[in-house]
Amino acid sequence: MRLQRLLIPLLVVGALGALLVFGLLRGAPDKDIESVYLGQSAPGFSMELYEPYHSEYGPTFDFAEYAGRPMVVNFWASWCLPCYQEAPVLQEYWRQYQDSGVLFVGIHTQNRDHHADGLTFLSQFGLSFPNGYDPSSEISIDWGLYGVPETFFVDADGRVILKHIGPVTPELMDQQLKAMLQ
Amino acid sequence: MDLQLAPLGSAAAFLAFGLALYGAIAGMVGASRRDARLQTSARLSAVAGFIVATAALVVMQVALLTDDFSVSYVATTSRIASPTWVKVVTMWAALEGSILLWAWLLSAYTALLAVTAPLNPLRPWALSIMQWVQVFFFGVVAFIANPFELVPFPPLDGPGPNELLQNHWMMAVHPVLMYLGFVGLTVPFSYAMAALITRRPGTEWMTQTRSWTLTGWGFLSAAIIAGGWWSYEVLGWGGYWAWDPVENVSLMPWLTATALIHSVQVQERRRMLKPWNLILVITTFSLSILGTFLTRSGVVSSVHAFGAGPVGPAFLVFFLVVTLVSFGLLAIRWDDVRDRADLDSVVSREGSFLGVNILFVALTFAVLLGTLFPLLVEAISGDKVTIGAPFFDQVTLPLWMLVLLLMGIGPLLPWRRAEQQRLKHNLLWLGGGFLVAGGLAVLFGVHKVYPALTVALAGYNIVSLGLLLSGALVPRLRLARRPALQVIRSYAHESRRRVGSMITHFGVVVIALGVAFSAGYRVDQQVRVDFGESVEFEGYTLTAVDRYVERTPQRISAGVVIDVSRDGRLIHTMRPRLNQFGDRRAVPTPAVMYRPSHDLYLNLNSQVTPTTTFAVLRVVKSPLVTWIWIGGFILALGTLYSLSGSSRTVPARASVGVEARGEEGASA
Amino acid sequence: MTLTRRLRAPALLTLAVTLALALLGVWASAQEVQLETRVFEIARQLRCPTCVSESVSDSSAPIAQQMREIIQDQLVQGRSEAEILAYFQTRYGDWILLDPPKRGIHLVAWLLPIIVGVVAVSVVVLLARRWLTNSRRPVEATPEELARVRSELGLDPTQVDEPRTGRTD
Repeated sequence: MRLQRLLIPLLVVGALGALLVFGLLRGAPDKDIESVYLGQSAPGFSMELYEPYHSEYGPTFDFAEYAGRPMVVNFWASWCLPCYQEAPVLQEYWRQYQDSGVLFVGIHTQNRDHHADGLTFLSQFGLSFPNGYDPSSEISIDWGLYGVPETFFVDADGRVILKHIGPVTPELMDQQLKAMLQ
Repeated sequence: MDLQLAPLGSAAAFLAFGLALYGAIAGMVGASRRDARLQTSARLSAVAGFIVATAALVVMQVALLTDDFSVSYVATTSRIASPTWVKVVTMWAALEGSILLWAWLLSAYTALLAVTAPLNPLRPWALSIMQWVQVFFFGVVAFIANPFELVPFPPLDGPGPNELLQNHWMMAVHPVLMYLGFVGLTVPFSYAMAALITRRPGTEWMTQTRSWTLTGWGFLSAAIIAGGWWSYEVLGWGGYWAWDPVENVSLMPWLTATALIHSVQVQERRRMLKPWNLILVITTFSLSILGTFLTRSGVVSSVHAFGAGPVGPAFLVFFLVVTLVSFGLLAIRWDDVRDRADLDSVVSREGSFLGVNILFVALTFAVLLGTLFPLLVEAISGDKVTIGAPFFDQVTLPLWMLVLLLMGIGPLLPWRRAEQQRLKHNLLWLGGGFLVAGGLAVLFGVHKVYPALTVALAGYNIVSLGLLLSGALVPRLRLARRPALQVIRSYAHESRRRVGSMITHFGVVVIALGVAFSAGYRVDQQVRVDFGESVEFEGYTLTAVDRYVERTPQRISAGVVIDVSRDGRLIHTMRPRLNQFGDRRAVPTPAVMYRPSHDLYLNLNSQVTPTTTFAVLRVVKSPLVTWIWIGGFILALGTLYSLSGSSRTVPARASVGVEARGEEGASA
Repeated sequence: MTLTRRLRAPALLTLAVTLALALLGVWASAQEVQLETRVFEIARQLRCPTCVSESVSDSSAPIAQQMREIIQDQLVQGRSEAEILAYFQTRYGDWILLDPPKRGIHLVAWLLPIIVGVVAVSVVVLLARRWLTNSRRPVEATPEELARVRSELGLDPTQVDEPRTGRTD
């Protein structure tokens, strides 16, 4: 009789405990929310490019124009420290892969009224792939950004195969670029 | 001899742990064997433990104040440039230090209990339980998250505490109040456990701890309101409560503690609800541990959380042990505890306290569900969802309204059964108060449902207080042959609990009004104003005069000077700013203009550099928000007043052979 | 005479136009305040993506500010609250909503309190009923207990009383 009564608190506490242990084990929340676009068509965008890229790509960049090419879409901001870490990595891989059909495009976002700071960033790293400005952050909101830097890998059919949060690493670039070009 | 602070502090922590362990075991053995010497030894160890814990505290403070970066906690949390008061409060700014503070407060309460608690069969067991809790906390300090670890190569300077925690004086007050509340509620828990162990589950454990429970509840209430005020002045969005997980976990034990302080009155008077009160006190303590786990383990995300650490699993284990042992004990002793309850009528004081229990437990459940729901969903389906303010508001608001409703009628109901005539009379008056206040509110333009309802219920409650006072005073005035003022004063003097509760309930009404209007009629805007230009907001003209820079050893701040005018007259100058503490990210200091009718709140949302020509401000007008803080103050006063009477024994002029037991008779 | 009459018409016209413009301005600014309030009302239901559990209305982060501007633009365009919330939902997923849609597993969050509430109230009602009947039942006491009570009261312990309806105080 007495032990039966023990059962109720035992069950409730046990269930709560199991839930909390799960919470402990899965680590910090919010860090790995999947993009809604994973496996879906990427939302397009069109933006004004920075001056150095006008000669080769024109004054504006329209995502739809480059359909059929796999793309690496990188979002950055001049105030974002990890963006400084990944910029040389991106430039290096662009240099290696620019003739393979993959297109790299960078978007300076979440930094209203700081057009000039973007130019400084670009010249500091000598980025030769097209970069443009998204002053109202509409593009980053359209793509469901949580912060910067974030990089999207889009295959030739226009589908998002990966959204990477944080600075890119050489390993990631190797892995994804190989996969995209198969 | 070069006295190093780190090993000294560690030694103190170890010693405190050892003393607590000894006291816990000696106390239990002494209690079960009724060995007075062991019991005394346990009491002494409690006092010694407090002295040693104080030593550890002092060592930490000295280390902080002398910038001794060889102590790990100082190296990770403090900074040379911080002002002295910041260094003092840095002790509880981060995880390890906050646990040290909690452990110290616990040892203080235990020592106080050891010295002042009257001798009875419960005491040694209760003390022992308190010391077991100390064993856990000092164990964490000594073994798991030791703030006194020695840093072999001390850095030249540290990063300083979290920028949000060095920004405002409330940091010195709020955490201490919070821990005083949690620790205070450990005492009734310990006595309840003692009652179960000694098979004396009657009123004894409650009357012994009544003051402690009320004190703990009072501190917790003050902590929650202080926390709200702090958020208001620091976080920059003009609000004070966001249903953030850390806020919720401080609210939940408060809700069950509120149910407890009301429900114990039913047990005192009618010897009912004994098992329920035990469940409530165990739940209150468990929730405080659960809350500490949630905020120190990284399981829930929050702006306030201390972050993940090795401490998380320890608290989880402690939580599970506490709940299993205490509920298990309750289950084993159930037959002793079960009482024959009888209710003469639902419309009675007992009935209203039942209502209090239901409402507050429902609120606790709603808050718990909302806080843990994202975790639950993720465990079941892997989806990530967010439960935010809209859920909590929608689910809890009707319950808060019912609480206000009950608060007005409950104290008016007599025990056992309400007499029809009197009840009708009271209901008529209450209904009148409700309708008049509500009608006036609607007439004066309050058309939103909850604010209008709150005003109506405020009127209803004020009428209730009037009826209570007149019901108590009128007969006395009629019978007494002394001047009226004297009668009133002696009534206030004698019935401290009653009067204190009236004051406290009045404070709740004031808070309710403040919350209803500041939430319902708040006006938010984001404006961009060039220097030298003005912008209109809600009848005020805000002129951005200029930027300014402030440098203190602790921070660099850049802000704007805003002149606030109304009808052409300058009424106030406000200086919201953004602060940079060392290398940490910038945090705002909003500017608040406090007025009884509404606050004007300005927060700087753009960086101000020497070349910027404009400022982006968030401007908020919150009606009646100051009333929340005032109401909190009234609530605290009422609690103090209740407590001031309870430790005196009132000698009753009684007939021979009957023991003196006035209402305030049981000393706690 | 004729001069003033000739001047009167344009003066009146100017006055009328000024008045109309002033009213228009007042009306527009009143609209704007209303719009701003609506912006924050909608923003309150969205979670700021870069913050740790703050709503878009509370946060001062740049992305939150820009989301509020998007909300404002869409309100000006005439979109409804549901449409605006859906706009962000398609881009971020259900996670962005602080007030999860009342479908699927989210429904549990809304139903559970109601179910538990109903269960709890029923339990209390049943208990209260039992307690009400308890008070009408006489207290059971063994003959020994009764004898002891009587001796304590100084009465004859052997005398047997009629059972009374018990009051437990």
